[in-house]
Amino acid sequence: MKKGRICFVLILSLVLLFPIIAGGTEENVNDEKVVLTLESWRADDVAQWNNLLAEYTNEVAPNVEIQFKPTNPPDYNATLRLKLDSGTAGDLLYARSYATGQELFNAGYFYDCSDIPGIQDAFIESSKAPWQMADGKMFAVPFAAVSHVVYYNKDIFAKEGLDIPTTWEDFLSVCSKLKADGITPLANGTSDEWDIFECFFCGILPNFIGGADSRVQYENGTKKLNDENFVAAYQAMADIAQYCPNGFSAVTYNDSQALFATGKAAMFMDGSWTLGVYGDEGLNWGVFAMPAPKGKNTAICFHPDTAITMNPATEHPEEAKAFLAWLCTKEGATVASNNMAVGFFPMLNEEITLSNDHANECLALNAGKETDARFVWPALMDLYSPMDQAVIKVMKGQQTAKQAADSIQALLKAEN
Amino acid sequence: MKIKSKKQKKSYSCVEEKKYYWLRYIIPALLFYVVFMAYPLLDSLRLSLYTGNTINSRTFVGLKNFIVLFTDPQKSTRYWSAFGNTWIFFLINMVMQNCLGILFAVILTNRTMKGRQFYQTIIFIPTTFAVLVTGYLWKLLLNPIWSGPTLEKIGLGFLAQPYLGQSSTALISCTLVSCWQWMGIPTMMFVAALRNVPEDCIEAAEIEGANSRQLFARVKLPLIKPTVGMVSILTFVNNFNAFDIIFAMENANGAPEYSTDLIGTLFYRVGIAGQHPIGIPDTGLGAAIATITFFVLALGVVPTLKATQGGDN
Repeated sequence: MKKGRICFVLILSLVLLFPIIAGGTEENVNDEKVVLTLESWRADDVAQWNNLLAEYTNEVAPNVEIQFKPTNPPDYNATLRLKLDSGTAGDLLYARSYATGQELFNAGYFYDCSDIPGIQDAFIESSKAPWQMADGKMFAVPFAAVSHVVYYNKDIFAKEGLDIPTTWEDFLSVCSKLKADGITPLANGTSDEWDIFECFFCGILPNFIGGADSRVQYENGTKKLNDENFVAAYQAMADIAQYCPNGFSAVTYNDSQALFATGKAAMFMDGSWTLGVYGDEGLNWGVFAMPAPKGKNTAICFHPDTAITMNPATEHPEEAKAFLAWLCTKEGATVASNNMAVGFFPMLNEEITLSNDHANECLALNAGKETDARFVWPALMDLYSPMDQAVIKVMKGQQTAKQAADSIQALLKAEN
Repeated sequence: MKIKSKKQKKSYSCVEEKKYYWLRYIIPALLFYVVFMAYPLLDSLRLSLYTGNTINSRTFVGLKNFIVLFTDPQKSTRYWSAFGNTWIFFLINMVMQNCLGILFAVILTNRTMKGRQFYQTIIFIPTTFAVLVTGYLWKLLLNPIWSGPTLEKIGLGFLAQPYLGQSSTALISCTLVSCWQWMGIPTMMFVAALRNVPEDCIEAAEIEGANSRQLFARVKLPLIKPTVGMVSILTFVNNFNAFDIIFAMENANGAPEYSTDLIGTLFYRVGIAGQHPIGIPDTGLGAAIATITFFVLALGVVPTLKATQGGDN
């Protein structure tokens, strides 16, 4: 009995000690390399980032290992905030553009990247602006932008003998022809609420109200949010509602993707981030620019989406800064864009060729056109939810375009 | 009772000397409760008087969070709409779940009932599924895109409506899914309670000539009153705090047009996740919403407990 007990205690203590011994050896290995973690909202890009980071370790900084730790996209802002508050965030962080990023910089959670070598010359002003404070300080290194386009099913277009519409009026007649032939013209739905606003409404908006110069006039009050251009944009949403799937109010973003991917819908207004989703097997598809109404220039919603910054609380600031500086070089940006998920476009002020055909096709649409960020992001973020709701109400016929525009303008007045 | 305690005193005379001997028995549970329940609860009440997100930047603002919540036109609209929706959600759950729960329990405990185990299992199975799973399944079933073709084949095409997309039907649909899922719990509790009704009471009533309706209303129901109270309280607390089913079937915004926005989703949006796309939470305001909910729950629970629990025990 006693012997048994001694034996048991011995084994137990061995078992308990084991992790300590094992942990000790593990730590020794870690000492040789500096390990940084990169927080991100791109949970889909683990493979791409691992390649990119492996390339960085192998060719640029053999003593640095960067680990990619993504969070579920909708939870990223809150999770990051929580981690920063409790001091457990990674060394390198994905930074949202405009107000969301500025707020974290003001709270002291983002490093002042203005002195990162190369950052000032590598990007043009409009690429820097989303991650710039009013006083010109940069709080992150611009990394990627996304575009907003119309995905279309080439087979359906060929079968129906349709051409790519170049004006909004053409677009509507293409839709009505498709519908008359029993094909759902558009895959978009309103159930998830964010996609109809961010992908669709913000995507077509520059066509109706103009690009960045015009946006600034709306922001400073020179132009009203219920002028005829805005009413026309809401009216466009009212017009296309009948071309969305039956019961579009219950159609989620995933449903829309599935409808387009299975050829049940002919077109899908979406962001470039899904360029890599559909592949080329079984679906013959392409993209075209969201068309502007007659007499207006087609403009593209090219949204600055991703930047990377450093956590000031990191234990290895030198290594982290070196990585950010590398991203500002042509060499770094090329490695990055070759590994980046399809549909995320490099922002560096250099000619960088992409390896994916669809990505090149999408980026080529920007040529010669004005581009701008999503309308509310730069200065009117408070209007995000009200405008989103207004668009949905217009689509469901609960509000006229004029009423929707007036209600948004009234909100702006109430705030000032 | 008195006789019993005298007996105890005799047999455990060593314990009798210490007046608070019972205290040491509850210390582990008490410690656990204080650390993991009472302290966080009181701390969240305290948080509602502060603003700022980080521990360092937190400043005392008194009742400002509550004043903002009820006077800021946008915030108060959201709050009262969520408050109203929560009551609708709770009341439908209360009536559907518990009335059907009692009905099923009476049927299941009927002595002539055949295949009781089978039905009992069927009723209880949805309870064992994760809310995200049932929510997602129902989301697909209620989506005309996916269920429409099947429904049309069997000639019920008119049923393919976007139930979760119309503000008139979304909340009711979510509520009924919640009822469907949790129906098993009250049923099981009522079954257990009805089985404990003493056989001699029922026999006595039968000899007196009571019919089955009288037997239920005058004998069984009064005897299971404490269970009815307990189940009501559980329904109240669980559904007033509901969040998961809406999150699974709609989104944290309470789509469409905030028609399924409950206190739970509003709290999540304000206090935990922050409003998309900025996503910066306001913990103070969130705590204020939680505090009000806490008092509403207390106001509901305490009278129900008093009315149904005490009695002759």
